[in-house]
Amino acid sequence: MQKTPNLLLAYGSLLFALLCQLFPSTGQGIVFRPDFMLVVLLYWLFRAPYLCNVGTAWLVGAFVDLGTGSLLGQHALAFTLTAYVALSFQRRLVLFNETQILAFTFALLVLTRFTVLILKLLSGNEMSTWHYFWPAVTGILFWLVIKFVLGAIAHPKSTEAN
Amino acid sequence: MLKGVHQKLEHQQTPAFFVHGTSAFSRMVFFCALSIVLMAVDAKLNYLSQIRQAFIGGLHPIERAANIPSELIRDSKKYFAVHNQLVQENYVLKQQEFENSVKLQRLNTLQAENEHLRSLLGGDIPIHPRAVLGDISHTGRDPFRNVVIVNRGSQHNIQAGQAVVDAKGVLGQVTRVYPFSSEVTMITDKSLSIPVQVERNQLRAIAFGQSGNTLDIPYLPSNIDIEIGDKLVTSGLDGIYPAGLAVATVTKIDQDPETPFAKIISTPTAKVSHHLQLLILELPESREAEKKPPSKETNKKEAKPDAKNS
Repeated sequence: MQKTPNLLLAYGSLLFALLCQLFPSTGQGIVFRPDFMLVVLLYWLFRAPYLCNVGTAWLVGAFVDLGTGSLLGQHALAFTLTAYVALSFQRRLVLFNETQILAFTFALLVLTRFTVLILKLLSGNEMSTWHYFWPAVTGILFWLVIKFVLGAIAHPKSTEAN
Repeated sequence: MLKGVHQKLEHQQTPAFFVHGTSAFSRMVFFCALSIVLMAVDAKLNYLSQIRQAFIGGLHPIERAANIPSELIRDSKKYFAVHNQLVQENYVLKQQEFENSVKLQRLNTLQAENEHLRSLLGGDIPIHPRAVLGDISHTGRDPFRNVVIVNRGSQHNIQAGQAVVDAKGVLGQVTRVYPFSSEVTMITDKSLSIPVQVERNQLRAIAFGQSGNTLDIPYLPSNIDIEIGDKLVTSGLDGIYPAGLAVATVTKIDQDPETPFAKIISTPTAKVSHHLQLLILELPESREAEKKPPSKETNKKEAKPDAKNS
């Protein structure tokens, strides 16, 4: 297994996710926007924990905080906790089938949203509606796309045959 | 023989799929503590605004690049606007301009007269703030807050605390300034409050932002003289918003005799969520500093604006 191209791919895809996260949006679509960076981060945490770790998760969260203009540390803390949960189950993932992995990812996305919600409420924001959890659903769709695309880049058919 | 095997095993490395280094748990504890410290520092102290500014400034080119598709769509829509519609719009605008110019003529005379009368009475000359036109580049990325990002920043002399208006009335206030953009918090955001006055009877109050695009006026006794349809204008007491700008219209009043305070809900006059352009008014302080050298007598009585972030 080669390490270098994977490292480039991992951080390249995280940068791309940052771009998606910063993509300016006006109107109602903002409610449905998935947490792009979190989804890509989870993908790499599952697949290559030697490239991404809890520290990476913290850094990614800090970037999200800076980008969205929320209190610095909110997303960082939530992502750190999620990354810890994800990593502690990481070795068991081989025993899971596709649906179970999907459910696990969804649970992690909801967990992150929930942690951020609690932190926001503690820092004096008002209670949001159920729309707040939409990004977890759209995040799962984005996860399927990411899994397909990054899987295709990392393991082209020709090398698999070899 | 056995010893040899043992030695061989000892030199063997753990496979690559095991995570090396400190355990995930200790890392998690460390980074959680770090984020909690960061949150406390960010909430209570202002050290981190510099980092935020540098980050947003550095991301500006990326944001511009990400903005290109939506701008293209917007511009092409404009390009293909129907001819008929344009002619009609032109006609309406011309008519409006004519009406306005007549009104403006009267306004100039009235303004001069008003200033003259005020100077005769020994009062201050009222402030007519200058304004900078800004385009909304996108809405804020935090769904919890009612903010927009405007394409004018510290490079265009924008300062935090400046009032933002549109043609109909007050929109909000500049809360964060980045090099090429700034964040405008709308009056309907929960964190913003604005000193107002009822136009009909000059009653002063403070309106607070509320979720669902409305303003709430708490702390007024339930027997207060206020009616549905009353217009609220800025009182100008804070030194940030110039006096007399339309803020909201009262739409709902709950006067429950059991509670000491009336529940008064009003809707903003400005179209808070329908805009692409807005005006950023200059802070009264900077004008004061500009004016001071030539004439010291005129601003003697001017009240010092103190509430920067009301």
